[in-house]
Amino acid sequence: MLLFDTVFNGNDKVYTLTEEAVDKAIAQHGGDKAVGFPDTAYGLPCYNAVTGTKIKSLKDIKDAMGVVKSLMTRERRIGDAFMSGVATALCAEFIEALKYIDGATPYAEPCYGHLADAIIRELGVPLVTGDIPGVAVILGSAPTAQEGADLVKSYQEQGILVTLVGGIIDQVAEVGMKTGANVRVIPLGKDVTSVIHVVSVALRAALIFGNIRPGDAANLMKYTFERVPAFVNAFRPLDDVIVACGAGAIALGFPVVTNDMDYADGVKVPKSLIRLEDVSKFNAASLEARDIKIKITHIDIPVSYASAFEGEIIRRGDMQVEFDGSRVDCFELVQIKESAEIEDHKIELIGPDIDGFEVGSKHSIGFVVEVGGKKMQPDFESVIERKFHTYINGGEGIMHTGQRDMIRIRISKNAYNAGFRARHLGEILYAKVKNDYEAVVDRCQVKIYTDPEDCKKLRHGLVSNVFEKRDERLLSLTDESVDVYYSCILCQAFSPSHVCVVTPERLGLCGAVSWLDAKATNELEPEGACQIITKEGVIDEKLGAYESVNTAVKKYSMGALEKVTLYSIMQDPMTSCGCFECICGIEPLSNGVAIANREYAGATPLGMTFSEMASMTGGGVQTPGFMGHGKHFISSKKFMAAEGGVERIVWMPKELKGFVAERLNATAKEMYGIDNFTDMIGDETIAEDPETLLTFLQEKGHPALKMDPLM
Amino acid sequence: MMDGFTLTTVEEMEAATQRLLETGARVGADSWQVRVKQQTPHCKFGEEGMCCRICSMGPCRITKKAPKGICGCDVHGIVGRNFLRFVAGGAATHSDHGREICHTLSNVAPDGNYKVKDPEKLIRIAKEWDVETEGRDIYELAHEMAEMALLEYGKPHGVSRWLSRAPKHTQEIWKREEIEPRAIDREVSTAMHMTHMGNSSKAEALIRQSLRSGMSDGWGGSMCGTEFSDVMFGTPHEVETEANLGVMSEENVNIVVHGHDPSLSEMIVEYSEHPDMIAYAKEMGAKGITVSGVCCTSNEVAMRRGIPMAGNFLQQENVVLTGACEAIVVDVQCIFPALGPLSKCFHTKFITTSPIAQMPDSEFIRFNSATAGENAKQIVRAAIENFKNRKPELVHIPQMKQKAFVGYSVEEIARKLDGVTNSQVDERGTMKPLIDCVRSGVLRGAVAMVGCNNPKVRPDYAHIELMKKLLANDIILVVSGCSAQAAAKAGLMDKRAKEFCGAGLKRVCELADIPPVLHMGSCVDISRMVVLASRIAIDSGWNISQIPLVGCAPEWMSEKAVSIGNYVVATGIDTYLGVEPYASGSEKVDGLLKGGIRDWVEAAYTVEHDIEKLGDMMIARIEEKRAALGI
Repeated sequence: MLLFDTVFNGNDKVYTLTEEAVDKAIAQHGGDKAVGFPDTAYGLPCYNAVTGTKIKSLKDIKDAMGVVKSLMTRERRIGDAFMSGVATALCAEFIEALKYIDGATPYAEPCYGHLADAIIRELGVPLVTGDIPGVAVILGSAPTAQEGADLVKSYQEQGILVTLVGGIIDQVAEVGMKTGANVRVIPLGKDVTSVIHVVSVALRAALIFGNIRPGDAANLMKYTFERVPAFVNAFRPLDDVIVACGAGAIALGFPVVTNDMDYADGVKVPKSLIRLEDVSKFNAASLEARDIKIKITHIDIPVSYASAFEGEIIRRGDMQVEFDGSRVDCFELVQIKESAEIEDHKIELIGPDIDGFEVGSKHSIGFVVEVGGKKMQPDFESVIERKFHTYINGGEGIMHTGQRDMIRIRISKNAYNAGFRARHLGEILYAKVKNDYEAVVDRCQVKIYTDPEDCKKLRHGLVSNVFEKRDERLLSLTDESVDVYYSCILCQAFSPSHVCVVTPERLGLCGAVSWLDAKATNELEPEGACQIITKEGVIDEKLGAYESVNTAVKKYSMGALEKVTLYSIMQDPMTSCGCFECICGIEPLSNGVAIANREYAGATPLGMTFSEMASMTGGGVQTPGFMGHGKHFISSKKFMAAEGGVERIVWMPKELKGFVAERLNATAKEMYGIDNFTDMIGDETIAEDPETLLTFLQEKGHPALKMDPLM
Repeated sequence: MMDGFTLTTVEEMEAATQRLLETGARVGADSWQVRVKQQTPHCKFGEEGMCCRICSMGPCRITKKAPKGICGCDVHGIVGRNFLRFVAGGAATHSDHGREICHTLSNVAPDGNYKVKDPEKLIRIAKEWDVETEGRDIYELAHEMAEMALLEYGKPHGVSRWLSRAPKHTQEIWKREEIEPRAIDREVSTAMHMTHMGNSSKAEALIRQSLRSGMSDGWGGSMCGTEFSDVMFGTPHEVETEANLGVMSEENVNIVVHGHDPSLSEMIVEYSEHPDMIAYAKEMGAKGITVSGVCCTSNEVAMRRGIPMAGNFLQQENVVLTGACEAIVVDVQCIFPALGPLSKCFHTKFITTSPIAQMPDSEFIRFNSATAGENAKQIVRAAIENFKNRKPELVHIPQMKQKAFVGYSVEEIARKLDGVTNSQVDERGTMKPLIDCVRSGVLRGAVAMVGCNNPKVRPDYAHIELMKKLLANDIILVVSGCSAQAAAKAGLMDKRAKEFCGAGLKRVCELADIPPVLHMGSCVDISRMVVLASRIAIDSGWNISQIPLVGCAPEWMSEKAVSIGNYVVATGIDTYLGVEPYASGSEKVDGLLKGGIRDWVEAAYTVEHDIEKLGDMMIARIEEKRAALGI
């Protein structure tokens, strides 16, 4: 059968099934029954993205079936096949949505089913930085479980996010592979319709980061084609339903690689539908088809190394040894040295290796990474040092948390048995520093101390001296004390019209780019994502309005943005890409702002969840009254300074409050002389509605209540 | 997200022309628009091909009352002879152009005016011709190849060497039907001989020789022209340029090259980019030198050097009407004699260069390959010195131009296709990715659109509207000649034109990084198109006539165009015309062309004046071919 006819058939079948399922659900629950997925602000995200209509009830789905039908034209043109593919996907979304009626939890471990908005926002940064270079969708059963698992593993080792649908889920379980979002292998579900949950991620990415208006199907598909690096691996046997779904994937720009050589006349389409018998070549063929380039850093260690292992957790029982800075003396330090004093790639272990340590024991460790190079600056020491967490975590079976002298490192039994030793931590640091900072670091050597006495002496001497000096320097870095700011367009691969302006007191809203990071990035790549903005042409100092900032924003947003202010959330607030850590929005009743962080899934007094607040902004759009920002910005003296500063904060989730309390209290004390300001701020245990919150604020005498009206 | 990109409409182009004609009226210039009116209505006997003036007993015209000429020749014989002579005229023209190129190739030298720019291609052709290439000096090889190519024009025995590039099946057809071209010149001579008084008057015989004459052009002289031009001037690769009159610059010295033979224009471009010449232009009050082109000379230098295209055939007078053209330098073919008198109304120098195209009211600077450099310098210098003679009150350059990506030789198309292969599964250097797109239905097929402008058709309208219709139906276009320039002027060679395509072609454009309309070169370069069709047939296992591919010349006017049509049809490609050849007077000749020859070569002509219908017919034919293949 001709390829297009196969697509049309598959689409017709799914449409009929969906119609029956919807009718049955209506018969059972009535047309007014609410439908939707949990933890998303986008309703049925795919249908919403394609048509601009939010579905709320079963009756809405019934109406939507008519719209879907209108996509199912039957001329033998790829445009018709594409839209039939999209129609198939929308039907799949309806079928999946029915599973969630009445708050049901249709997916059980290890399957995820629907993925929350927060997961997508978290993926934003790694996707733009290339830490996650692609998204694989694997469907069906590989010829053998081992071949399937090997394929998944091959992607995982490249940092690619892998989603699994159907038989492959059992196959990877069979060979004992760990799955989960933290290791970037996400089983979606066993039914073919569950593939919609990854499609939903791609389409929401377009809405969140790309500022695509729901209903603008043409630009939606342009966005996914140009910016979402996903691809499909579909195992034989194909059937016409899978082929119809495949047409939907290809319509969105995602190539399909299959080992079914015959189905649908065996036709191929360059870079779109690739037939390949040998599953071991799927990885290479898929990356080539989707133009995904993997940054390879060869690291000489006996375990796998990939960003996908960053989220891996090592439990006590699986642990060979542990280094714990909260109990014993530990530290990590980058120090600038004259190049002549450095022997490149020298890795020195000073003290006993972990062979001598008892299984499950706790020890001291300290590493000093000495770097030299003509362009190296002391300011970059901490920039490089902050990367250690990510670097060390990339090793399979190695876990790292914390920073400076509050680090914790665990090495798993598996890693130890594979031959991982203390020296290998040095290998990782050396390789990554040299690779990521090759423009400034000419030479690098690593000293690893494991003798408790050495660690103690260094920690309290050299190391704490350096940290103190750095802190002084950081404190002296204010928006006023520097001459230049930086623009950051790291996200533009995803959010084409967003520009961040990074100042010392306002880090990038993703939380990942501080002023020093931006400075280093600019030094590393002078034509790259971070460009210097010279502070010139003051328009309004209080608002943080500068002509040079406006010029830069206009230039780097390609004219999408005319002007932004640095310190106001009401007047020309800075835009967001969509991967912000937090979002604040005005709470009119209490004359202040409520902040929600990405991890917080509950309600806020604004009557919206984080996801819903977040959907108000992002994609480079200015929404006065709403602003995305990093967690550390909350305690900045510049936080909505134009509207009076941190005094305006009236509500935050408890967990976030705890995270920022110390620094926020210090800022409030310094600025307004208020002690324990955080205690005056509401949280979800106090109020989830504005009235209760107001009562609480009045009791506490919160300063916002007496301030000038925000609106 | 169209980035503000829009196509230039025919209406906008016509408005610009209207404005230029006003300037013309002020200086008392003549124009083709006026002359068309004067010549209308055209002679009906001529139009239908039934006026015979081959001997001095006549002229004889066929009417109901006088159904035969004095010699007794019937209308079929007369129409058939006229048709064959028309074809022979075109074949001679293309092939003689090719011959000039071969002569130039005989003169290449490492330190000469002309060099071998693409030695790999030369070696490739030499291997095809069984010439030893191992360890040979490339210039020595070039000279030997030139000699062999020149012998192709008059060799006493055998058939064209180029035929071996075609698929076996096609070669068999040619042999079976006795239309394999022998020596190139012979097929023109035979045509003239057959049509002399007292020779052939049988329609079948005359049409068969028409096909063979056409073959001697496309699979002979034109192919020599294309292939050896590539050897000397470089095989075209993708290059960005611009098209329409807005490419001329008011502040620069404007030199416009016009005609067909790249030997002259290559030299003009070379010298106009020389720092000494630019300095001289500045000395004379200009900011620099802009070389742009008209007709196929323009296509040649656009394809190889990205030199902008000022316009196509019916825009040649407009170039002078801008009042900003210091020199229009012409070589051969399609040059209006009107340019002489017109240039006298302005400061423009009309410089003829070839003994083949000598015209009154022109300055004749005889160009030859030995003195090419000096000739070119002299011409550029003359243009620069003419800058000061501009009449500012007459200067008006319509600010209208579009970006265009051009340079899609067969080699470049193969390179682009390589770009969408997957190294895990595909071989490189084949047409297979294109075939896969067609087989799967992502592309429905292809149309090779070529040819001229003709006042009988609203100029450029047929080209542009047909292209838009085909693109929307996922049909990719390969184009050449003035059709290509129409596309470029409209904006259809801008990669953003993908937005005007069906979803399949759009995706192909995005993945292969091409515009939807691929510029393959000048009219001589239609030889590239038959090579492309051959490669597709060989790589797909289909016969050429089975490929969902048709040819189209909606606005054709010249003898060359009919010669081209004949070799395209003889290659197995159905060809759609928007203008009737002078053959409608005989149902036999007309019937053969539009149907009968299908039994010989598996393809035939279709003529339709309604452009909308012409497009529908091509799409239907392509779908018919698909259905026959079961795809």
